[in-house]
Amino acid sequence: MTELPPLGVVLLVVWGTITALDLVSVPQGLLSRPLVAGAVAGWLAGDLEAGLRVGVLFECFALDVLPIGAVRYPDYGPATVVAATLAAGAPWEFGLGVGAALGLVLSIVGGWSMQVVRRWNARAIQQRSAALAAGEGGAIRLLQYGGLLRDALRGAALTAVGLAVASVVELHLSLDRRTAAGLSLVAIGGALSAAVSGAARSAGRGARLRWLLGGAGVGLLLAVLG
Amino acid sequence: MTGGWRALLRLLAIQGTWNYERMLGVGMGYAAEPLLEDLKTVDPVRHGEAVVRSTEFFNCNPNLAGLALGATARAEYEAVPGDQIARLRTALCSPLGALGDELFWAGMVPALVGAALAAAVLGAGWWAIVGLLATYNLFRLGTGVWALRTGYKAGMSVGSAIGASWVPRAVARIGPVAGFTVGLAIPLVAGWFLRGFGWPGGLGSVALAAVGVAVTRWFGPWLTSVRFTLLGIALLLLFRSVGL
Repeated sequence: MTELPPLGVVLLVVWGTITALDLVSVPQGLLSRPLVAGAVAGWLAGDLEAGLRVGVLFECFALDVLPIGAVRYPDYGPATVVAATLAAGAPWEFGLGVGAALGLVLSIVGGWSMQVVRRWNARAIQQRSAALAAGEGGAIRLLQYGGLLRDALRGAALTAVGLAVASVVELHLSLDRRTAAGLSLVAIGGALSAAVSGAARSAGRGARLRWLLGGAGVGLLLAVLG
Repeated sequence: MTGGWRALLRLLAIQGTWNYERMLGVGMGYAAEPLLEDLKTVDPVRHGEAVVRSTEFFNCNPNLAGLALGATARAEYEAVPGDQIARLRTALCSPLGALGDELFWAGMVPALVGAALAAAVLGAGWWAIVGLLATYNLFRLGTGVWALRTGYKAGMSVGSAIGASWVPRAVARIGPVAGFTVGLAIPLVAGWFLRGFGWPGGLGSVALAAVGVAVTRWFGPWLTSVRFTLLGIALLLLFRSVGL
């Protein structure tokens, strides 16, 4: 983790908040995708390479998520921001695993926190049900802005707590290079398993599966030649 | 259509009050407000009823919600009986959810993310990210404008308008594209990461991935890929701490 000035920390918390908001509330413009969240966080933390590596890793996990209906899933936006910040400044082979471990825990906490916000939203609506039944426009706006504020606070808290934990980990956890590289290999293996599982599940047994296998063949060829 | 652009902007925050009771209901009411403004001067009683209806339970893919919003707003101006409008809203939930999820969450998003991943690991860097954001948001905003206009134009016959539109055809075509780009990206990402670790490390990681695919399939949904990875990390730390 690189030494960050206070402004850098503030910018990372703001970016984490934006990614948390983007996932469900507003604007759902893919800013919360780990590839985007990680690259920007790495750039803000002064290590774009680490941010990109963490972003690609978490993007593989995100490929295992199909956010349909009321399904529950991890929140990878703030998690990727924190993981990229923790991984920054070290050779990526050694920083990736530790960053991923913290980020994955944070993604689970993030997913749980979304459920809490949704319950709070429901409670706020129940409290204003009389105003809604009377068709008061002011009540609708108040509920909407309240929901957005709750989600923004969730994202800010998640990122700030994550960054605080990351600084504690950086200070007190010292791993030998073999263990750090081993953690990275486990994280990469887990990410690849997530990507393959998600791709296979979405592909089913029809034309999409054939195209998936075709794409994998071309990708394998390019990877070998590269 | 008065207030169309404001409604479109508000549709971007349609899930701002997402909850397990009304789901997108309040967000729909928030987006409907600008569209229903003219009704307030024409028929204030009807306007009040329309606002109440607009906040009732509703759920669908947020990117296609404009179809339902436009259609119900038009129906309110045409003084269609309230129970028919409520039935239309309910009837639109499933098709707009299914089509939108197939088109966006299972189609466009993995297709573009797969392409961006492949481009990023092949060295495109920021261009991969800018391309992903620009392409998706142009498509998504274009779809939003089309959905709101089509819904408002069609009113109560929005179902036939959806059936005759480009959406069902796009859903059929985007799946294979998503399959191809994700399939392309996975080996490239694996090579990009594992090249730095040499053969033993690389093979170990690929073996772990294979085990992960199998056990998350057998023990899912309890054992997710995230939990599997965290379990692997915990075991590695445990083994290393005892000197293995």
